[in-house]
Amino acid sequence: MKALIKKELQFYLNNPIGYIVIILFAVFANFLFIKDLFVIGSASMRPFFDELPWLLMIFVPAITMRMFAEERRTNTLEVLLGLPISELRIVISKFVVSLMVIIISLLLTVALPISLVIFTKQLGAQLYIPELIVGYFGALLLAASFISIGLYFSLRFENQVVSYLFSAITLFILIMFATDFMGSVISGQIQQFLVYFSPVTQLQGFIKGIIDLRSTLYFVNSTALFLFLTITTLERRN
Amino acid sequence: MIQLSNVTKQFGTNTAVCDVSFSAKRGDIIGFLGPNGAGKTTTMRMLLGLIAPTSGTVAIHDLDPIANRLQVLPGIGYLPENNPLYEDMMVSEYLSFISQVKRAGKSADIDIIDRVDLSNHINSRISALSRGYRQRVGLAAALIGDPAILVLDEPTSGLDPIEQEKIKSLIKKIAKKKITLFSTHILSEVEDIANRLVIIHKGKLVYDGKKPKKKGSVEKLFKKLVRK
Repeated sequence: MKALIKKELQFYLNNPIGYIVIILFAVFANFLFIKDLFVIGSASMRPFFDELPWLLMIFVPAITMRMFAEERRTNTLEVLLGLPISELRIVISKFVVSLMVIIISLLLTVALPISLVIFTKQLGAQLYIPELIVGYFGALLLAASFISIGLYFSLRFENQVVSYLFSAITLFILIMFATDFMGSVISGQIQQFLVYFSPVTQLQGFIKGIIDLRSTLYFVNSTALFLFLTITTLERRN
Repeated sequence: MIQLSNVTKQFGTNTAVCDVSFSAKRGDIIGFLGPNGAGKTTTMRMLLGLIAPTSGTVAIHDLDPIANRLQVLPGIGYLPENNPLYEDMMVSEYLSFISQVKRAGKSADIDIIDRVDLSNHINSRISALSRGYRQRVGLAAALIGDPAILVLDEPTSGLDPIEQEKIKSLIKKIAKKKITLFSTHILSEVEDIANRLVIIHKGKLVYDGKKPKKKGSVEKLFKKLVRK
């Protein structure tokens, strides 16, 4: 497993795309937060976490798109499957590396809460640190479920662009379920059902600093579901 | 021992391999011949358990390579068609990765690097290597762990005659105590290396037997069988 993770990390970081994605994510995340900070006039990380699903919708598929698609294009997937490694390990190693890239990207946004803490202290107020930590925990769960979806589409398509588009569109639809726009198009129980299934809805508790068991299970289950689909697709021998 | 029994593989309506049966035991060096699209690569991929036969059975030491891939694959060294490699890696990194996955240990690495004459290129990036050296890297990867079975899909494809000669003598050296199945379009190569011939044409087995001893007879036999 260690060897696989090392290879995946190398595969990712030997390429400029890895660094570009991480830096762009950090730039956009910081910008989107700062742009609203003084308008809202509230020292809170909530606007950042509110925008995060949209940012991850763009950046997670960029991280996952080459994980399998590139291996299929160059036929190195045949090398990998010709080695005594289980499909589970192959998928998990790619998942772990994608998550590591997201963790690095999120770490580059830590300057935001730190500066907020300093800021609020100077003003005699206090920022509730556990809320921040829970917010980041929620962000990680959200990223994990997005990664699993991205990995699935990366395996389904040999072309990285197609894989990116399918992942991004799927995530877009899931995010849209929770928007007012969807509420105006679909109404009644179906809308309520769709709102519940949106990752944005499930993230709300974490943004407020609450670890909701149902939301945690939602993210864990959706991650497990797409990882399972990826593994079974990889196990197919047609 | 490897055993294919009445193996057929269909892709949609196209039959790539049709009712192929043959077996191989230790010491067999099989030249696996057939024109382009005859079904050689498909057969090899079924042996590795990379694709499932539509009907028939494949067994490696009496085990189904798909159901038992983690038990079967450590015993097989595979050089896929066109030798795909992780271009971004150094030769040493790549071989070390394969060695760790096969749990072969560091000493195995060093021995193989010497055998395939890669010592001077161990710190080169794979993308910077010539075709001949890339082929050596692929071969070294297949040899790591000292597998009992070697499946080599066109190991000398695209190489110049000098490189071909080197790879040929290398295969000859290592194949003696193994089961080796290698596909090629170069018939003289089969005369030099193989002790047995398996020829498939349009997915069907048309010859399975000893390699004819007379020089040039492999070519004659091949032409006779695939012209039908």
